[in-house]
Amino acid sequence: MIRVAAVGDIHMGPESQGTLRPSFETLPECADVLLLAGDLTRHGTPEEAAIVAREIKDLGVPVVAVLGNHDHHDERPEEVTAILRDAGAHVLEGQAAVVTADGARIGVAGTKGFGGGFVGRCAGEFGEPLMKEFVRYTRRSADALHSALKDLHEWDCDVRIALTHFSPVADTLAGEPLEIYPFLGSYLLAEAIDTGGADLAVHGHAHAGTEHGMTSGGVRVRNVAQPVIGQAFHVYHLPGRHD
Amino acid sequence: MTEASPPPPSAAGSLDYRVAHFAEHLASGDLAELGVRLDLRGDTVLLTGTVPSTQCRDHILRMAREELAGHPVHSDLLIAGTSSPDHGEDLT
Repeated sequence: MIRVAAVGDIHMGPESQGTLRPSFETLPECADVLLLAGDLTRHGTPEEAAIVAREIKDLGVPVVAVLGNHDHHDERPEEVTAILRDAGAHVLEGQAAVVTADGARIGVAGTKGFGGGFVGRCAGEFGEPLMKEFVRYTRRSADALHSALKDLHEWDCDVRIALTHFSPVADTLAGEPLEIYPFLGSYLLAEAIDTGGADLAVHGHAHAGTEHGMTSGGVRVRNVAQPVIGQAFHVYHLPGRHD
Repeated sequence: MTEASPPPPSAAGSLDYRVAHFAEHLASGDLAELGVRLDLRGDTVLLTGTVPSTQCRDHILRMAREELAGHPVHSDLLIAGTSSPDHGEDLT
């Protein structure tokens, strides 16, 4: 059995230091990896990233993260990424990473993702340049996620996980106002997950959403935004190769 | 009689626009807070959602009462939980 801990949207600021660390220090007892589903900071400043870095350093389990829209607000995502990597985290944007636990190979493909909406109620690549770029940005993100999942397929992983900030499905947005669904995720991410192949998809971003969902292809989706799960993280047990 | 009709409300002073501007200030301010839902209940503004800390909640309430002065503000804001789970979800 492989144990995957995950949380997103921890939105750390100056007064947050130390609030999650006591729970994170229990991770070696209950999980093989910690996934961070973006919006780790409030404004995406290096100072806030350093607070997150101290919270996740030397936890005793590997940490794999993607950034969220808040982590881009200060327009220094490379600096935020570097600070988190210095703390030992794998920070993914259209990339894949494999971490090991007791010989099991846990593959994670990650991207922030973006919006656009869901089938029948989505933005199209049409009209003004800004509108076309909006959809193309999401499409590039989904394409990169698909490639990263295909990489994991070739790297002989026991489990493959898609990690995003924006949601791949509408299921896990239940509770959010319908009018803002196109700003919360895109079906292009789900299509990438279904065609690339994954055992689990994890995302954040939708604070008023719901934890459980599934893609059209049957991949289970979990919204791990901290306001949704109500705890420092949740843990998902997946079958290993020998289970 | 038209003379007896009340004057139309000032568009700039309409509560819905004031709430919209408050939402913009929450997002652009120190807290970068986009997770608070603001609903009108008659003359009252209802705040719901989960925020990272008690400091954030108190800051938001202070801002709301300043910016929406003249209207009751009701807060059902929650603080994000930081406990460890006592079990995992079985997806095997």
